[in-house]
Amino acid sequence: MNQLNRFGIAAAVAAAMSLVSLHAAQYGAAPAAPAARGAAQQEQNVPTPRGAGGHPDLTGMWGGGGGGGGAAKPDEKGNLTVLQRGRPCSKQQFDAGNCAPGINFERDSGVTQRMGPEVPMYKPEFWERVQYLDRNGTKEDPEFHCKPGGVPRMGPPAKIVQTPTEVILLYAQGNQFRVIPIDGRPHDPIKSQDTTWYGDAVGKWEGDTLVVDIVGFNDESWIEWPGWFHSNNMHVIEKYTRTGNTLRWEATVEDPDVLVEPYHVEGRTLRLNPNTKATLTEDLPCEERDSQHMVTHERG
Amino acid sequence: MKKIFGVLVIVALSLAAKPAVAHHALQAEFDTAKRGEFTGTLTKFAMINPHVRWFFEVKKADGTTATWEITGAGPQALRQNGMTRIFQVGQTLKVTYAPARDGSNTGRVVTFTFPDGRTVTMYHEDPNNPNDL
Repeated sequence: MNQLNRFGIAAAVAAAMSLVSLHAAQYGAAPAAPAARGAAQQEQNVPTPRGAGGHPDLTGMWGGGGGGGGAAKPDEKGNLTVLQRGRPCSKQQFDAGNCAPGINFERDSGVTQRMGPEVPMYKPEFWERVQYLDRNGTKEDPEFHCKPGGVPRMGPPAKIVQTPTEVILLYAQGNQFRVIPIDGRPHDPIKSQDTTWYGDAVGKWEGDTLVVDIVGFNDESWIEWPGWFHSNNMHVIEKYTRTGNTLRWEATVEDPDVLVEPYHVEGRTLRLNPNTKATLTEDLPCEERDSQHMVTHERG
Repeated sequence: MKKIFGVLVIVALSLAAKPAVAHHALQAEFDTAKRGEFTGTLTKFAMINPHVRWFFEVKKADGTTATWEITGAGPQALRQNGMTRIFQVGQTLKVTYAPARDGSNTGRVVTFTFPDGRTVTMYHEDPNNPNDL
């Protein structure tokens, strides 16, 4: 799949190279502006709060400070222009006037998102299936049908509540939650045979990193959006590391049924939300109404 | 109404987070380089994911009625910008939209014109850009 995909988009490589900053912004891994990098370092330099047993306390609202842009104000007649840009930009980019409107943003971002340094290596007999799912994502992607992203596609949580025996992960999208026992228990023999979107998770501390071991998945979710399916024997290891007021999340996917080697999810680093009044709000229900109208194949 | 309009800010929030990006297949569904227009009566405003919907009844020249479904940004973006109560069932709105590629009575909103003449313009991309296909 890896090779096929790369050959398939070879012609677009030159175009994609000019869009590296877009790609990086989407992955939250943009080479930070000096000011931003300094701020991130400051946030890492504060002491890491610790809870029971001296382990880091992951409790807090994570991320959530980004997005948006400057305020749009009505003109003298009360008319309002709400320019929804097709291209995701950071607040710093908006403020600096570096967020140009997107051109073919879905095609572009589709190409650049496939250009990540790490892609799962599928066994050759599955290359065709991955390509089919990728090309027909507007119909095949489970998220397009309002199904959960599942682990690891759902990414890091927006809020964590940690007790001495549990870590509770709360997600902004879809009012989702996960409860990770950290009391040293092994996988439950029944639950680990279940077929779910989040799987059966158990956590333990390895130094200052919380390592979450997850089995018991269904085979409906995707690892990521370019058709990266998996079997119900997928095994995911998530790592959560708090350094000062930053949280690093990453994951490794093992699926010997379909992958030739473990796939490492690049992950993200989130900042603690500085707004002490920030809270999660109810996400509204999802209703699939687009699928029947999809004509072409752009995604992004 | 004026007060509510005053608190609106750029609705780009749902696009800033990577997980939400995967939801968008706007160009596969709508021709963002084209524009259509109708004036109709708002029959329902639905705050649903992944994108909010406006439903309209539109009287046609032959006296019959057509129903239209217009899509917009994610509901969270409208909530965070105080836009949840500015659309009221029964309002007559002029709607400019990017039409569906399949020719159905659906579209992606570009501009709403309210009964008092004020407009809310919600481009998705730069309408003046000739390369914006």
